[in-house]
Amino acid sequence: MRYLLVIVMTVASIATASAQAPKKTPATPAKTAVPKTPWGDPDLQGVWNDATSTPLQRPGTVGAKDVLSDEEAEEFQQQLANDLSRDRRDGGADADVNRAYNEHWMDSRRLKITSDHRTSLIVDPQDGRIPALVPLSPEREKARAARNAANARFNAGLPDQYMDMSLPVRCVIRTDSPPYLPTIYNNDFQIVQSPGYVVIAPEMIHSARIIPLGDRPHIGKNLKQWLGDSRGHWEGNTLVVETTNFRTDDGVIFQNANPEAFRIVERFSRVDAKTINYEFRVEDPTTWTKPWTAVIPWTKIDPDEQMYEYACHEDNYDIVHFLSGARAREKRGETK
Amino acid sequence: MKAAIAVLFFALAVRPALAHHAFAAEFDSKKPIKIRGTVTKMEWINPHAWIHVDVKKPDGTVEEWMIEAGTPNTLLRRGFTKDSLKAGTEVIVDGYQSKDGSLRANGRDITLPNGQTLFLGGSSPGAPYDEKK
Repeated sequence: MRYLLVIVMTVASIATASAQAPKKTPATPAKTAVPKTPWGDPDLQGVWNDATSTPLQRPGTVGAKDVLSDEEAEEFQQQLANDLSRDRRDGGADADVNRAYNEHWMDSRRLKITSDHRTSLIVDPQDGRIPALVPLSPEREKARAARNAANARFNAGLPDQYMDMSLPVRCVIRTDSPPYLPTIYNNDFQIVQSPGYVVIAPEMIHSARIIPLGDRPHIGKNLKQWLGDSRGHWEGNTLVVETTNFRTDDGVIFQNANPEAFRIVERFSRVDAKTINYEFRVEDPTTWTKPWTAVIPWTKIDPDEQMYEYACHEDNYDIVHFLSGARAREKRGETK
Repeated sequence: MKAAIAVLFFALAVRPALAHHAFAAEFDSKKPIKIRGTVTKMEWINPHAWIHVDVKKPDGTVEEWMIEAGTPNTLLRRGFTKDSLKAGTEVIVDGYQSKDGSLRANGRDITLPNGQTLFLGGSSPGAPYDEKK
């Protein structure tokens, strides 16, 4: 039975990102004519991809620089790509076994910085960092601790019950809840428009977020939804979407904000035929000391690269498997 | 400094994705394997593809291994098609065996006899996705 069992510790062939100097793209709305739908709205339809290696917050490596020169940008991109790459073989067996989930599984665009050479997706405040946090109320502190304990049980392979798996783990809601941030794969978003509505369908989880346009009031304050309640309108050629009414379920709300106070305004501006500037501004005075804003370029993808099914779970029984596995471990005497 | 970038990335990008894809939960870092065998079929199933490999043992018997591979949509986007890895192809699999001891492994590296490595980010056959960029 023990035939070719060999411990292999070879040096990884590390795939580095393309060293081509990115072209600068103006981060301002299009000056040329924006295509219009047959009923006269700006046309944002298509499939867009938001993958990038540019971090949400400015890393200390770049100091206070918000935009890099071509040479600096190339170095920054290579450094990020090297750090992010899962094709490397350093780090020992424990790291290696998880890196079998290597770059081939990932969106290759995630190893490239934004073409405007910014050092953070956050553009406000100017330091490119999330503002200071407001101290949590005792009630939220308690809820946070409970969530962390549940996550720890799950990560130890010993969840008590299905709620120990957060909604993203249960594949109910994950990156489809605004604001949209780049992730490791399935970074595509399809925008579909009809008179009076815009629909955004993220590839991951593929929930359709239906945004009514105009001055229709929000739903009642007591009605909460995983994707919130969105209302849109046009400011020139920019689609502005304001969203409130998020549910309080843990594991979904952005950056652990307080759903009762969380409000997000997104702005979709067509920069050119192949680019939308996706800007989001979040505010929640019970979580952050001031609102903050990020801008992420969305690139129109080749029509040949269609949206695909995002299959989140191995069959539909993962939760049963997680729980039955945990009970089996307990019988073997494993403890949390 | 590198660590700072890595931590930021983790907070930003890995938010939910690795939560239930933890290979360490399924495959054993203490059971590294290196096997040489012949592909019998590749299952293009969601969420992850599986490569079936027959491995001849020294006593002449054959073991049927299953090697977990990437998700079909990502494989397609990187130019890997159903014709890329045909039955009969000889492969060397460097990976980790499943914790339950069954003949399953994750494919850390899968290499052809000529040394070409499959399923590494920079080594996709064709990779039209990247070329179009």
